[in-house]
Amino acid sequence: MSTRTPQGALVSYQGNYAGSVSRFAAYSIDLVVSTAVFVLALAAISWGVRVVTGHDVSFHRSNIVVAVIFVSWQFLYFGYCWAVSGRTPGMAVLGIRVVRADGTVLPPKQAVLRSLVFPLSFLLFGLGFIGILVQHEHRALHDLIAGSAVVYSWDARAAQLRFLARQAELPAADIPSPAAARPDPAS
Amino acid sequence: MSRLHPPRVIPQALRPRDTDCVNPRDRLRAVGRRVADPAEEIAQQVTERVVELVVNALDVNELAARIDLNALLSRVDVDAIVKKVDVDALLDQVDLNALLARVDLKPLLDRVDVNELVQQIDMDALIEKTDLGAVIASSSGGMAAEALDAVRSGAVGLDKFVDRWVRRVIRPKQPWPAAPPALLAAQAES
Repeated sequence: MSTRTPQGALVSYQGNYAGSVSRFAAYSIDLVVSTAVFVLALAAISWGVRVVTGHDVSFHRSNIVVAVIFVSWQFLYFGYCWAVSGRTPGMAVLGIRVVRADGTVLPPKQAVLRSLVFPLSFLLFGLGFIGILVQHEHRALHDLIAGSAVVYSWDARAAQLRFLARQAELPAADIPSPAAARPDPAS
Repeated sequence: MSRLHPPRVIPQALRPRDTDCVNPRDRLRAVGRRVADPAEEIAQQVTERVVELVVNALDVNELAARIDLNALLSRVDVDAIVKKVDVDALLDQVDLNALLARVDLKPLLDRVDVNELVQQIDMDALIEKTDLGAVIASSSGGMAAEALDAVRSGAVGLDKFVDRWVRRVIRPKQPWPAAPPALLAAQAES
C-alpha cells in the first residue's frame, strides 16, 4: 500500500492538525540537533579549560551536573524556539508549528509552559503521547495542559508549483506515458 | 473619238410618283413627340404630387404597427445576408481606439470578480504550456527545496496512513476536526 501523498492533495493539509509521524520525525531531528550542540558546547568548554588552566576536564553522562545542564539546555532549546517562532529546527524541516488550541499564535508564556510540561508525556511511560494518535485534535498531554496544538504550516501550494514546474521542465522522453508504463500483454 | 450612246428611256410605269418621296408616318411621329413629351412631364408631376399627398395622409406609425415583423423576418434569409457582408472591410472601417476611448472600463471591471476568474485558471495547464514553470523552478531553492518537499510530503502521507488505521480501530462516533477553528476560518476565506 502506497503512503505517498499526491502533490495536489497537499494544499488542503496546510493548517490541519499535524500527525504523529511528522511530529516524531521533528522531535528526532531536534533531539539530534540539541544533543549535538550540547556535546559541541561541552567539547568547546573542555578545550577552553585545558587551554586556560592546562588541566583536562572530562564530562560524563553520569555526572549529575552535566545531566542538570543537559535538561536545562533542553528546556531552553525547546522553550526559546517555541516562544520565538512557534517551531524548532526539526519542526521547521518537517513544516509544522505549535499554535494555540484555537489556531492563533502561541504566546511566549504558553510556549514556556509547554516546554516545562513536555517531560510529563515521557514520565508517564510515554502515555502522554498517545493523545497525538487518538485524541480528536491530535493533542498530546503537554498540549492539553499548555493549551497548544501542532499544525502543518509549510507552503504546500508553493511546493506543488515547484513540483509541477519540475515536471514541466523534464524532457518529454523522461516522463513515462501511461501507455508506456503499462506492461505489454503480448510479452 | 469616243462613241456616243443614245439616252436611256425609263418606262412610265416605273417612274417614281410625287407622293412616293414622303413617308406619312414621319409626320405622325413628329406630332406624337410634340404631344407625348409634355404629357409625360405632366404625368410625372401629377404622380409626385399624388405620392406626396398620400404619404402625408398616411400614419406611418400605425402602418408600422400593423406590420408583423416576425413574419417578415422569418422570410428573410439572414445567413445569405451575412454571407454577403464583408466583415473584414467593415472592421477595417471601425476605429477601435476611438471606440475604446469612449468606454468607461472602471464600472466594467468593478463588475468582474477577479478572484473567481483566477480560481477558474488551470494552474497545472498554465505551467505546462508556459515558461512560468521554468521561472518557478529557477526561483525556488533547487535541490534543497526539492528534498524538503519530498520529506514533508512523505511525512504527511505517513501521518494520514497512520491516522486512517487509528480511526479504523477506535471508530470515532463523530468526525474529527481537520484544523483549529481560527485556521479553519482562514482556510474557508481563502
